[in-house]
Amino acid sequence: MRTYELVFVVDPRVSDEDVVAMTQEYKQMITAGGSQISKEESWGRRKLAYPIAKLNEGKYVLICIESEGGKSSLPEVEHRMRQNDKILRYLTVRTDEDLKRAASRHPKTAGRAGESPAGLGGPGAPGSPGSPGSDMAAGPSPAAGEV
Amino acid sequence: MARPRKVFYRRRKVCKFCADKIDYVDFKDVKLLQQFIPERSKILPRRISGTCARHQRLLQQAIKRARHLALIPFTTD
Repeated sequence: MRTYELVFVVDPRVSDEDVVAMTQEYKQMITAGGSQISKEESWGRRKLAYPIAKLNEGKYVLICIESEGGKSSLPEVEHRMRQNDKILRYLTVRTDEDLKRAASRHPKTAGRAGESPAGLGGPGAPGSPGSPGSDMAAGPSPAAGEV
Repeated sequence: MARPRKVFYRRRKVCKFCADKIDYVDFKDVKLLQQFIPERSKILPRRISGTCARHQRLLQQAIKRARHLALIPFTTD
C-alpha cells in the first residue's frame, strides 16, 4: 500500500467555505480513483515565508491518502491544481517507503539508547554492546580532533 | 615543551536526530526544521550542526520541500 501526503496552499482571498468545497472536490477525485483519505487537516491562514504572487498569506490544507495498488488519480488531481490559479502551491509526497525505512531502523537501535548522551568518553565505550545496531554508531563524524 | 600546552576540550557534536531518535524528518515540522536554518536561511552544514550524513540528507530533503510550500524561506534580506 502506498501512502501520500498532499499539501496545497490556497489564495487567502478565497473564503473558507470555498476552500472546503475545493478540498471536497479534490477528495472526491481521489476516492473516485480508488484511494482512501486517511487524514485531512486544515491549517487555516498562515503567513508565507516569502510572497507568492504578491500575497503574504495562504490557507494550507493537508490531505493524507492511502492508495491500494498502482493506480491512482493523483496525476489528474495535480493537473487540476496546476490549472487552478487559486492554488498557489501544492506538493505531493509519497511517504510509505520513507516511513517503513524509518520504522525498520528503530527497533534495532532501541538497545543502546542510554549510552548515547554520555558517549563523549572516547573510543573505549563501543566494546560491550556489539549489537546489530552498532554499525550506524560509526556515522557521526569519526575523526573529531583530539588536540 | 617548557610551556604546558593549553588543552582545548572540544565538545563532541551529536546528531540531534540520532539522539532524539527521529528517523523520519517531516517537512511539515517547521519548528524542527527552523533549528537548522540560521539567519540567512541557508541550510546549516553538518560540519557545524553535527548532524550525521543520513539525517542531513533527510533534513535537506525536508527543508527543500518546506521551502516549496513557503513554510520556511529560501533566503532573507
